[in-house]
Amino acid sequence: MSIIAKRSSYVLIQGITGAAARLHTKNMLDYGTKIIGGTRPGGGGGEVHGVPVYDSVEQAVEKHPHVNTTILFVPPKGTREAALEALSAGIKTVVMVAEHVPLHDNLEVLEEGEKKGAVVIGPNTPGLISPAEQTKLGFVPSQYFIPGPVGVASRSGTLTYEIVSRLTLNGIGQTTCIGVGGDPIVGTPFPKILQFFEEDPETNAVLLIGEIGGTKEEEAAEMIRDRKITKPVFVYLVGRTAPEGKRVGHAGALIEGNRGTIESKLASFREAGVPVADTPGDVIRIAKEVLKS
Amino acid sequence: MRLYEYEAKEVFQKCGLAIPRGQIVASAEEARRFASEIGGPVVIKPQVSAKKRGKAGAIRFASDPEEAFRQSQSILGTMLNDEKVATLLVEEKIEIDKEFYIGMTIDYSSLKPVAIASPLGGVDIEEVAQEKPAIVKKVLFSISRGPTEKDYEELVSIFKPTEQALMKEVTKKLYQIFQKYDAEMVEINPLALTKHGKSMALDAFLNVDDDSLFRHSDLVKPRGMTREQFDFEQSLKEKKWKYIEMDPDGEIGILSSGAGITMAILDLIKMHGGRPANFLDTAQMNAEGIYSAFSLFADNKKLKVLLVNIFAGLNRCDDLAMGIKKYLQQHPLRMPLVVRMIGYREDEGKGILKEIDVETIRSLEDSVEKVIQIAQGAT
Repeated sequence: MSIIAKRSSYVLIQGITGAAARLHTKNMLDYGTKIIGGTRPGGGGGEVHGVPVYDSVEQAVEKHPHVNTTILFVPPKGTREAALEALSAGIKTVVMVAEHVPLHDNLEVLEEGEKKGAVVIGPNTPGLISPAEQTKLGFVPSQYFIPGPVGVASRSGTLTYEIVSRLTLNGIGQTTCIGVGGDPIVGTPFPKILQFFEEDPETNAVLLIGEIGGTKEEEAAEMIRDRKITKPVFVYLVGRTAPEGKRVGHAGALIEGNRGTIESKLASFREAGVPVADTPGDVIRIAKEVLKS
Repeated sequence: MRLYEYEAKEVFQKCGLAIPRGQIVASAEEARRFASEIGGPVVIKPQVSAKKRGKAGAIRFASDPEEAFRQSQSILGTMLNDEKVATLLVEEKIEIDKEFYIGMTIDYSSLKPVAIASPLGGVDIEEVAQEKPAIVKKVLFSISRGPTEKDYEELVSIFKPTEQALMKEVTKKLYQIFQKYDAEMVEINPLALTKHGKSMALDAFLNVDDDSLFRHSDLVKPRGMTREQFDFEQSLKEKKWKYIEMDPDGEIGILSSGAGITMAILDLIKMHGGRPANFLDTAQMNAEGIYSAFSLFADNKKLKVLLVNIFAGLNRCDDLAMGIKKYLQQHPLRMPLVVRMIGYREDEGKGILKEIDVETIRSLEDSVEKVIQIAQGAT
């Protein structure tokens, strides 16, 4: 088992004819992801790596009614329209890869997603991968992931690869690794992800890779403190040395006044009894301890 | 992107909100001329991107043209939060009956837009919300529909019944701005109620979402920076690079790919007593990209060492190594270089750098230790 990315994910690639989409469609197919079709705004026809290309999501879904997941390889300007198109066609899992999606566009997609009861991942995410299900949705480099008991959720792509490759080297596998997205507002932030992992029978422990900015780490800590999450959770936080008011990386990694500080996040996790790693090496040490108990 | 007050006021006026009669000036002489045109007391406000100008004592009043001249002269050219005061907004002074607060922004917890109103304006709304939550009204609304009549009514219920119709009208105009300009935040603080029962925006705050600027390209221009800095920032934006100067006395430059890992490196360096000077976080890097990235660091005279972190997941170590090699063969670096390299085609990459006597390190922690040693040994 795993969360969101599953063997039963039947996937559409919106914008499949772009260069990056072609490359990652190939990578996903090689990994085992069931890609059923793709769309190209302004005209379908033909194939990409054997995957049929359609004019619209509606047309693709009509032809393949079992499609339940879509990945948006479209530019930030086109993300709103593409996501709304997928939601209106009834697709229940939408992965928005693009960075720099306008804030109001993003909010509109999330509002519509909520109305339709869909899971929206991102924007600004490398996607997610479930090694035991041989399914990845997005462009995470699959060579660093192996099946196992740890669920991983992260606000960063590259840092996830750095940390998970070390888990893998130490024989600690993963149920699902998900990049929730680096934007201040994402469809499925840490609290929702914790709920998913809580309900997944194969996940024995959860690693959150968080950073400064926003309050989602604090909200996750509250859920753990209030025993809404019963599985062991451990955390790695970065951005401890970031200056206030300067975006050090992700758009979401911004400290404004007292909001989003590392102190506030550390205090919340401490109160909830959640171990927090200081360094990448420390993550592995804590992972081993958590899994032993 | 935060607009200057006078720009935000132009937007407000276009959308039907009343603003005081005013003029933007760049000299004390112009300020005097406009004050005599007004023929009464004026307010003089420096146009800078810093918030809280009032607290900094930067907002001046003048009762006649001569005083307007003197006040303008004393403030033009001064520094306000690292920004030189180059222009002033001179406005007629309004006879105020009451000062309200009204604003719209995003509630990051519920992921919805929120309208905020308070009969206590002209002060820091965050502080009011904390100290006297009962006199601040917040109403979440739908991004696709905008506030409903019920939302507006709930919001203005914080005001006296006689003021509610007027405040509803103002809020509706504010929403038009919020929506049309992709606002992260739009705020009138204070909104004055004049002695004649009219509303007027005495200050104007409008922060347009950076990612929406392709829809508002007419607003893009340098603010609080020189033309050169502005052009530099625009060029980084095009490449999707993030370059940050951290510490003017820092010693270590960092070239890395990805925001999360870059933050982790900064943390590790500081944890071990090092001082990062600047960093460049590139999007997916290739040989060409790393070649041009080097040029951002090469001429920095303060750097004692440069750390390059390569974790090749989707790109290739050998490709990036070729980019570094090409750069170094054409431009001798003035500082030592530490390359951390791991991932796809790692051995090939290592081999390429070895040809030009650049050693690579596999472990992130070891590479951080190495740069700190070099930085500290060099002092």
